Amino acid sequence: MEYGLRLARPEKLPADPREICQAPWRDALPQGVLRALYFGTEFCEDLLPSAGEAAAFCALADAAGLEAVLLTPIVTPRGLQRLDRLLAALDGRGCSFSVSFNDWGVLRLLRSAYGDIPCRAGRLINRGLRDPRLAAKATYPSSALPDRGEKLRTLLRSYGVRGVETDPDLDGTYLSSQASVLQRVLHLPYAFATSGRNCLIKAESATENDSFTKGLGKLCPALCRDRCLQVQRQDTSIPLWRAGNTLFYQVSAAAVATHLRRCDRVVLHERPMP
Amino acid sequence: MKILAPLKNSAEVMPLLQAGADEFYCGLTPPDWQQHCGQSWANRRGAVSAGIRDLADFQLAVAAAAEHPVYVALNAPWYPPGGVELLAEFGAQLLATGAAALIVADMDLLLTLTAAGYAEKLHVSSLATCTNPAAAAFFRDLGVARVILPRHLTLEEIAAVGVDKLELEAFLLNDGCVFEEGLCATTHAAGTFCLEDGADTTDLATETTERYAFWKWTLNHCGCQTSQGYPLGPCGLCALPRLLASGIHSFKVVGREASLPRKEKAVEIAARALRIARSGGGPREIRQAVMNLRGADSLCEGSHLCYYPDVWRQKCPEEPRC
Repeated sequence: MEYGLRLARPEKLPADPREICQAPWRDALPQGVLRALYFGTEFCEDLLPSAGEAAAFCALADAAGLEAVLLTPIVTPRGLQRLDRLLAALDGRGCSFSVSFNDWGVLRLLRSAYGDIPCRAGRLINRGLRDPRLAAKATYPSSALPDRGEKLRTLLRSYGVRGVETDPDLDGTYLSSQASVLQRVLHLPYAFATSGRNCLIKAESATENDSFTKGLGKLCPALCRDRCLQVQRQDTSIPLWRAGNTLFYQVSAAAVATHLRRCDRVVLHERPMP
Repeated sequence: MKILAPLKNSAEVMPLLQAGADEFYCGLTPPDWQQHCGQSWANRRGAVSAGIRDLADFQLAVAAAAEHPVYVALNAPWYPPGGVELLAEFGAQLLATGAAALIVADMDLLLTLTAAGYAEKLHVSSLATCTNPAAAAFFRDLGVARVILPRHLTLEEIAAVGVDKLELEAFLLNDGCVFEEGLCATTHAAGTFCLEDGADTTDLATETTERYAFWKWTLNHCGCQTSQGYPLGPCGLCALPRLLASGIHSFKVVGREASLPRKEKAVEIAARALRIARSGGGPREIRQAVMNLRGADSLCEGSHLCYYPDVWRQKCPEEPRC
């Protein structure tokens, strides 16, 4: 098993990647070597890093001998242009990095304009069920169940994609049961439940006339960068967090045994981040 | 430039054609679905509450629609093992019995149907979250006929998504989503997750959660079915001139599970607004016509129901009366 770390800031790396997790996870996860540093955003184009910030992550990864992986979200036309400029700037600075894409348009951009940048299919490509109301009583399947997504994997291979990433959905058969040229990557310990552009945190800094639908397309001050709010719903006992425009829930260590048997790399998140 | 209406049974076809529908979509579940895939939904809605009963009634609907196309949604965001194979076979059967196209979201199903030669009979569901021109080109290159845009795009963004040789469909009336439908990994089968969202978040200002609750109330038809018989939910009618200028091919009226009277009124008001837009009318003229029919003027004047509230934000060069 190898590890990646998803950090909010380009700061000192722990000696053991599991150190960023809480106790149950530190004990439950196998030993392994840190191989990658993840940064960027999977859920909100307003949180795409500046070229300087991204380059700092790349430099930190490079100094530690790690793969730098830029996480990218689903993007609007403007977000696609912004990402294009970011990729060009990093390329121009000679940064070495991979891109985890969650938008088919981003994959197309990468293959048409940045053919040398390795890419990975991000966790939003997997649209499997992750419902915290059902997660508490979910019976995770045995690893003997057939894989789903074979056609998808064939398509990804045809685009030269190097990895398939997910968090622990309730189905457990998205990552292939067999190792292949597509590295299987599992993000822990948070699964996303739902996301969207109508962000409560953005609305906090907006007027009534710029909130939710009326605020679409307007720039966001990104007050969520260092903020993660607890959510306590009546219909589930599982802890949830609102981080920016996305609701996450914490997966139990016991629930991911099946997933761990189907993965080559675990990416540990220091906290829920959009 | 068509009004796309939802169907739940063949008896709805004629009334909806008379109300102004140009094309139809419906849900249909394979008869042996539950045996293979349990409680999972085949098309994002319950088979009984929102779907056409069986293949025989579907064939009656196709016959009644005559030259008006009927599309079938097979658009769950993912399927359990075996589901894709079952639906690929069922989809082929539907196309053979008169479906004009299949609406698909799951990539494995889409790729399976494409490999079987049905690409030009596929519409990519809004659940696939196609939000930029490169994504549209990606799907166009797979050979599909149409992409259904997600709800939460501005008019400016919609105008920038279009690419050659690909039809675009946009939401026009009813049934909002709090989150991005394609990025909501919860299931309505366990209850509507977003209804309970907001108030239980710690450290949010009360004013923000109240604003959120009001906005969600508008997405859910303002707590009532209709005003003057017309649905009182999310509405993009005033944006029709801009959507037409952006090359949108089809305008979707949502609500497969709704009653026929509500569907008729929704299609009627959509068709009326489209006639105004086609004859050169602008957003203000459409809004006045809509308020005259629907009432609830303050909701329109405050842009509270707007799918595309940016219609009031900037001038449209192609539309002098904007």
